[in-house]
Amino acid sequence: MGTTASQLGKDLLSEYQELTFLTKQEILLAHKRFTELLNKDEKDHTARVSMNTILTLPELKSNPFKERICHVFSTSENKDGGLTFEDFLDLLSAFSDSATLEIKSHYAFRIFDFDDDGTLDYGDLEKLVNCLTGETQDTRLTSEEMRQLISNILEESDIDKDGTVNLSEFQHVISRSPDFVSSFKIVL
Amino acid sequence: MSSYSNGGFFNAAYHDSETLEIDRRSSSKTHHTNPYAREDPAWRGERAETHHSSTGWSSSDDVGRAPWGSRQDESWRGRESIPMGVLSTHQGSPSWQHDHNHSTFQIAPDSQYDRTMSIRLPSSGNMTMRWRGLAMRRMSMFPTAGPDQLAFAEDAIRDEMENEEQKLVEELVALSTRDRIRAIQDLPMSFEEKKHIRNQVLAFKSSKQSHQFTCFADCSENVSLSLRRCGYNINSARQTLELWQGIMKEIGGKFGTSVLSYFLFLKWLLMFNIFSFLVNFGLITIPVLVYDHSPNKPPNVNFRGLEILTGAGYFNYTVMYYGGYSNETLEGLVDYNMQLSYFFTIAVYMVLCGIALIFSMASSFRKNYVLADSSSNSAWQLLCSWNFSITNEKAVTQRMNNLCVQLKESLSEKAQGELLTRSEKLKHFGIYLGSWLLSTSLAVGCGASVYYLCQFEQQEVTDADHWSLTQEAETLLVPFMVSLINLVVPLFYSLFNKFEHYSSQRRQIYALVLRNVLLKVSILGVLCYYWMNVVAEKFSCWESMVGQALYRLVIVDFFFLMLGSFFGEFLSNVIGTRFLPRLGVPEFDVARNVLELIYAQTLAWIGIYFSPLLPTIQILKFFIMFYLKKVSLTQNCQPPRRSGRAAQMQTIFIGLLFFPFFVGALSMVAYTAWRLTPSERCGPFRGLNSTFSVVGVWIDDLEEIPGSDWVVWIYQNVIRSEIFYFLITLIILVFIYIFWQVTKGRKDLIVLLRQQIVNEGKDKSFLLEKLQNLQKANPNKKPKPKNHKKHTKRRSDDQSSGGQSTSNAMVQALLARQRLEDDEERHSAGGLPVPSDISTSSVLMQAMLARQRADKQDEDLCQMPNKHQTSSSALAMAMQARGRAEDHGRDEYYGAEDFSENSFNRSSTLMQSMQARQRAEENAAYDVDDPSSSVSSVMMQVMQARQRAEEQDRIQVPAAPQNPAPSGSSSLIQAMLARQQAQNEYDDGY
Repeated sequence: MGTTASQLGKDLLSEYQELTFLTKQEILLAHKRFTELLNKDEKDHTARVSMNTILTLPELKSNPFKERICHVFSTSENKDGGLTFEDFLDLLSAFSDSATLEIKSHYAFRIFDFDDDGTLDYGDLEKLVNCLTGETQDTRLTSEEMRQLISNILEESDIDKDGTVNLSEFQHVISRSPDFVSSFKIVL
Repeated sequence: MSSYSNGGFFNAAYHDSETLEIDRRSSSKTHHTNPYAREDPAWRGERAETHHSSTGWSSSDDVGRAPWGSRQDESWRGRESIPMGVLSTHQGSPSWQHDHNHSTFQIAPDSQYDRTMSIRLPSSGNMTMRWRGLAMRRMSMFPTAGPDQLAFAEDAIRDEMENEEQKLVEELVALSTRDRIRAIQDLPMSFEEKKHIRNQVLAFKSSKQSHQFTCFADCSENVSLSLRRCGYNINSARQTLELWQGIMKEIGGKFGTSVLSYFLFLKWLLMFNIFSFLVNFGLITIPVLVYDHSPNKPPNVNFRGLEILTGAGYFNYTVMYYGGYSNETLEGLVDYNMQLSYFFTIAVYMVLCGIALIFSMASSFRKNYVLADSSSNSAWQLLCSWNFSITNEKAVTQRMNNLCVQLKESLSEKAQGELLTRSEKLKHFGIYLGSWLLSTSLAVGCGASVYYLCQFEQQEVTDADHWSLTQEAETLLVPFMVSLINLVVPLFYSLFNKFEHYSSQRRQIYALVLRNVLLKVSILGVLCYYWMNVVAEKFSCWESMVGQALYRLVIVDFFFLMLGSFFGEFLSNVIGTRFLPRLGVPEFDVARNVLELIYAQTLAWIGIYFSPLLPTIQILKFFIMFYLKKVSLTQNCQPPRRSGRAAQMQTIFIGLLFFPFFVGALSMVAYTAWRLTPSERCGPFRGLNSTFSVVGVWIDDLEEIPGSDWVVWIYQNVIRSEIFYFLITLIILVFIYIFWQVTKGRKDLIVLLRQQIVNEGKDKSFLLEKLQNLQKANPNKKPKPKNHKKHTKRRSDDQSSGGQSTSNAMVQALLARQRLEDDEERHSAGGLPVPSDISTSSVLMQAMLARQRADKQDEDLCQMPNKHQTSSSALAMAMQARGRAEDHGRDEYYGAEDFSENSFNRSSTLMQSMQARQRAEENAAYDVDDPSSSVSSVMMQVMQARQRAEEQDRIQVPAAPQNPAPSGSSSLIQAMLARQQAQNEYDDGY
């Protein structure tokens, strides 16, 4: 642990602590895990790890939203979902225990917003349900069930009846489902 | 946010998104004649802005380039004239700000915003909201890039974003360091951006500080920095010390939150016991041990081994029980009154436990119940309960299957509804009644049998110093039976549960839990009754006897728990996998296991008075239990099939722990202390009438000491006066009533607000439908490029038949524009609270509808005279067209004027001008009908209409801010959220 601490530097570490919800230990652990993913030659902290490499982490590997998570937190120019260390910290911060409901619901919304258009429309919800029930034939909902389900969802949450769920509506829903905060969590 | 880099407002991807949106706008409607397109640059710039920020500044170009100080002023000056913008900011802020200073939320828009507000705006909710807007804006990128044609929009947006950022920085600077860090952490943007903001804030701060540099400021800065570092260190140290972190992660990763909650509960109880052990050991036991460490046991009592199970014999003479403590004042360095310390330690511990329980119960209740949805099986509930911490591949697929099943169930439940026939209902009712009767009588029967067993034991056991080995072993009979009942009867209850048909799983669990609680309460009640009425009479040192009984119960209960988890879970696993695959691998029954824990903890609480060191045993027990349960869980169980509402169940369990169990234990101890006579021969309170009279004795002592009159006074006039308690109760009742009323009012308000949102939505969809119908009525129109619109207009001056094409084109343009606005609105609504935008568009929509209708009439009427081809009608057509052109010119003028004003203004004037136009056109149509009408009359009518419109305009604009109705739906949603929070705080209050 001592070597990683010196690698990160005290100032950098305190900056990370100020900007994320993570504690020192978590940041150091994250750094350790992240540098393990990096190639030997690129050890500076702007290096980017490709999405496929990130997804080898056991914490993310079996997550049905893994690609979405990478895309949402990636700051990569060419939208390949690659993460820098800071993006990675951002991810862990949003999924940490101490992150506020506000932050969590914001990122959840973006993860669920598959086409990145700022609202959850029919297509997004369909993808979301498919993601959660798995893609295999026997677990998939039929199109009739899907239609019914999504109309239920919209009826429940689409307060202004515009056919989509926007961020405010989504956060409203989230604030009413108490299990969300404890579920929306990834611990390294 | 994915392509936003440090300071990069010039980011390509970001621009794409903007251009694209505009592009799409033009691509879907470029080919329509849009009479409003003239205001393009201005309109878009402004629109984008309203969109973004809901602060709705105008002329962002000027402001954006103004230097720091003046920028604020200017922007806020702009703001003053924008009631909608201000309103929305104000309304919106509380909900994003999870802060407590917003509890007095008001719907009435406070448009009297002070200009200086910009400098000292304290709510970080504002900035979070604003930044959310930017973030969402950037989010809304479209996959395909289009030509970069509209540079002005980019400029406007860029400026506006810079502005936003500067404002944000300014607001952050005004905050204290701690708040600032929290506010920055709370910004929903990427790390780079946060870093950028933070650097700006720091730079700004240091530049400001260089002016007013003082030693004091420097010192305070240093102190706060080191304090913060210290806080971080404590935080991380705490995390390192966190017990069983890895195991918890493993369990959560495989079995999900509901099972994890059991282990968290176990850990929480363990902490309780560690605390009580430290308190008791430190304040009661250590002084005794230091003063006199040799137990004064009779010579014939020796440690035989069986004591570990029975707690009798040798243990009876140690500090384990009440009897092992003396009533003397220990004379060491300071006088230590054993009586007082024993009494106050137990009392304070019980009170602290109660407070901790009440607090955790209340906060858990607030979070998980008040806010939670009332519908039990809603689809979102299921979707949101996906556990991101699950790492096990198998568990993931299993959860997916379960979720799918649950979703299907919820669908079929919804579809079926309550379609039970009367006979079925009766049958269900009969089964409920039967199983309730059966389970209640089981509980009562168990209680009775325990009582008789106790009586039997009491006859066997003599009040002797020394028991024979068989006598000692006989004492184990009662605890054995009690634990056996606790193990077996719940199994019967589960069996009953299988026969009952509950409409929801939640009810089923509640019924099960309630029955188990009933059983445990009846057993404990009987035991307590026996101890206080029989044991207290018979034994000379009865407190120690009760302590022993509790010790035995705790120990035997521990063995049964071990057996239960090994045999229960292990056996059912073996049966499920080997012999009866139909049953399957068992699930971990969270409810039953938690109730066992609660029962065990209640024993410890009751025992705290009789056996102060019972928490030691409890700590050991829980510690071993944790590992045992973990092994049993991972070896024998499968993840639960239903993702129950873990959070709510936990609340229930804490509530149960508090209400029958802790309160019961507390009243038992309190009764003992107030009413029962302590034993004569042993214990710290020997010779007193009751335990509580130790306080009276102490007060009598104090009276002799000068300077302690106030303590005596308090004792006489507060503690012992009924009037005081009466008054306190009265005041509390009044407060409760007031809060109750406030809560009720807020509930009504929520209903109202929700209704308002729904109405708003209905209006919107109604208008939309109307428009679409109209569009369907005119399907054969050729779309025209947007920028040709003016030419079309001009052309209509030349040829009278142009009227038709113009109006058609206008319909199309309007539709297109409306569609665009709809799109925009959707985006914006997703992006950020832009109520002003929404209201703009809905107002615009109405105006356009009106106009469209007018145009249509116009068109129909135009066609008719065209057939007649009379010269006068041609003339009239020409006049009409001209009038329209003139109107158009005026519109343009208005548009230009509006551009410099705010969005709301603009929309209302636009609406007005459109109404005017519509009226003018209607007039024109009438004139066409009447070929004899003169040119001047047409003109006159047009002018009159315009005038009327302008007058209305003037009236309406100042009237607008008072009207809260047009506030947008998203702001309403926010308002609802804020309301809920505020209400929670109130609920929490009592």
